[in-house]
Amino acid sequence: MFIQVNLSLLEGFITTIQIFALTLLFALPLGLIISFGSMSKWHPLKWLVKTIIWIIRGTPLMLQLIVIYYGPGLVGVWAQDLIKAGVSNGILQWLATWHVFDRFFALMVAFVINYACYFSEIFRGGIESIPRGQYEAGQVLGMTKTQVFFRVILMQVIKRIVPPMSNEIITLVKDTSLARVVMVYEVLWNAQRFIKSDGLLWPLFYTAVFYLLFCGILTLLFGWIEKKMNYYKG
Amino acid sequence: MNILEVKDIYKSFGKTDVLKGVSFTLEKGEVLAIIGSSGSGKTTLLRCLNFLERADKGSITVGDKVVFDASEPEPKASVTRIKQLSFGMVFQSFNLFPQYNVLENVTLAPLLHAKESADYKKRKKEIHAQIEETAKSLIARVGLSEKLKSYPCELSGGQQQRVAIARALAMNPEILCFDEPTSALDPELTGEVLKVIRGLKSSDSTMIVVTHEMEFAKSVADKVIFMADGIIEECGTPEEVFDHPQSPKTQAFLNKITEI
Ligand SMILES: Nc1ncnc2c1ncn2[C@@H]1O[C@H](COP(=O)(O)OP(=O)(O)OP(=O)(O)O)[C@@H](O)[C@H]1O
Ligand SMILES: [Mg+2]
Repeated sequence: MFIQVNLSLLEGFITTIQIFALTLLFALPLGLIISFGSMSKWHPLKWLVKTIIWIIRGTPLMLQLIVIYYGPGLVGVWAQDLIKAGVSNGILQWLATWHVFDRFFALMVAFVINYACYFSEIFRGGIESIPRGQYEAGQVLGMTKTQVFFRVILMQVIKRIVPPMSNEIITLVKDTSLARVVMVYEVLWNAQRFIKSDGLLWPLFYTAVFYLLFCGILTLLFGWIEKKMNYYKG
Repeated sequence: MNILEVKDIYKSFGKTDVLKGVSFTLEKGEVLAIIGSSGSGKTTLLRCLNFLERADKGSITVGDKVVFDASEPEPKASVTRIKQLSFGMVFQSFNLFPQYNVLENVTLAPLLHAKESADYKKRKKEIHAQIEETAKSLIARVGLSEKLKSYPCELSGGQQQRVAIARALAMNPEILCFDEPTSALDPELTGEVLKVIRGLKSSDSTMIVVTHEMEFAKSVADKVIFMADGIIEECGTPEEVFDHPQSPKTQAFLNKITEI
């Protein structure tokens, strides 16, 4: 029994860590791109991006998971029904081929979009807090916009956003437990199973320790990064 | 020969006309001091010269090259970027890069610039060594050789401004502009920065200094411009402008300053 629980939890750990790592890997760069969109001088793009951010931040992640997992399948069924009823055109034919995503894929899409939107707001706050004089100083020295951003601005932005980022990333660790909504079984679900099947409570404590350790390591890591960047002020 | 010819610059922000036809010329090695009350458009003029603002009308010629002409369509950023290197700028608020130490602040732009040269890959080491050496000698010139590895947050305001001067000099501009370089400093630090600027005066460095330090303007400038409401109200040698001002506005301004 002990070995069985351990194996099952281990499987859950791996899933949790996968969700966590893949979300970070894709959501961080996507968040930076979205933040550029939300600061765009071209207003249609800016407002489109701001609306998307509003929707994503304004609805529960759980709902987004459900929509992204079941949504395409429902659209496909609906299109097939219409075709059966005699309505037919190219778009419907194409929509009729829609079906539910692979579970893990749907999960990752929802997590990446959701977290990218939160990250983008953190990036935007950081970028906008850098005084204009920094850009101008780079510009009068003949640097290109890209050089100014990557050589002058970005480092300062990173320094400023480490604390809010670490908050968001620690929240992500715990949000991974939402994966069960689309039947991806992470560590907490695997632990909970043993309550029902075998009346075992200790696997739950086991997972609590896992979360605490995981977040503890992250906290130490972010503390270390903050300290590393403390060599200058401003 | 004139190294700089500024012709009929106009600039407005929305409905406020800030510059209403500014023209002047400058010879190589000359120091021009620009004085005038707050809001008269001094900063805006320097920003137009440095391509931080685009003037609505007028032209700017450096040597025999027209670097800016408002009647032509706005050139690509890459073209403007090369042209703006004719000018250097020292800001009122220093604007040093906080994450880089003194030496890195001075070498950053020259290193990035060198990457664009054709033989960069072949002579990388040599180029780097050369840039660092030049930077060190510039830092020595502003009296901060001891502070090569210090970060801006570890320096006094006066020291930061001296680094900013070295950083601007590193791109070897033909004309170096200063926008009130000492007005963000405590009075006891003003002197060291002014001394550095004074020390830069030589036959081949042309400078434009916007300043409220009248004594400094009097003793260093070859030419003084008094600006009022977006135009050049009076222009001449320091003796002409300070001792025998013709315009009533200049007289009023100078009186007000000496009263304090
Ligand atoms: N980006 C801007 N947008 C709108 N108005 C501006 C802008 N920049 C400057 N102005 C206006 O232009 C006028 C001239 O400003 P400028 O900074 O050139 O004056 P200044 O002579 O440098 O004054 P000071 O001695 O206070 O530095 C001011 O009335 C200012 O409000
Ligand atoms: Mg000003």
